[in-house]
Amino acid sequence: MLLEYIAIFFLMGGLFFLVVGVVGLIRLPDVYNRMHAMGKCDTLGAGLVLIGLMLLIMDITNITKLILIGIMIATINPIVTHLIAKTAYNRGTPMVEGSFLINDYVASQRRRRRQRVEEIKKGDGNS
Amino acid sequence: MIDNILYGMVVILAIFSLISIIRAYYGPTVLDRVVAINIITTNVVIIILLFAYIDRSFYYIDVAFVFVLGAFIGTLCILKLLREGHII
Repeated sequence: MLLEYIAIFFLMGGLFFLVVGVVGLIRLPDVYNRMHAMGKCDTLGAGLVLIGLMLLIMDITNITKLILIGIMIATINPIVTHLIAKTAYNRGTPMVEGSFLINDYVASQRRRRRQRVEEIKKGDGNS
Repeated sequence: MIDNILYGMVVILAIFSLISIIRAYYGPTVLDRVVAINIITTNVVIIILLFAYIDRSFYYIDVAFVFVLGAFIGTLCILKLLREGHII
């Protein structure tokens, strides 16, 4: 009986995160913000509901299948989130007004190139 | 008691899946629709798992597993088509 109450707690937590994911999908203003809501909905909501169902079922075969589904969801959803972000950035999807972007990759490339140029100049001066 | 709670969860999840179809219909770009379809897929997987416990027929868990894999392949195909212009 206690186990059922713990399972209901986990199921309600998972339901809360799934509902919050849908509300964020409707109300947030941008592709990137909506993607943030999607990640929370997938990982936390599905994970908590799976833990609650594992506590309810109590059978080793079905618990193994549920663990496998949990591993698949926890592996697939970060991959999909990264791919959607990369595709949106490459296609030039407009961000919401007031957001800014720090492109650190280009800055690090410039810094490395400048260091190499200085090393070459220093080597020439010594020789 | 617990069966009634699970029935309520199934109804709530179905209603919120129908609400997120709104974003898939009115989305300004294609990627909004991809995100909406992804959330609907997660909700449907959870509905299948809850129904497997309500009906006490645990073979539906395999159906949920296949559904997760199929949705992953579909999303990958759409994103590859958007990035490169062709699938194969």
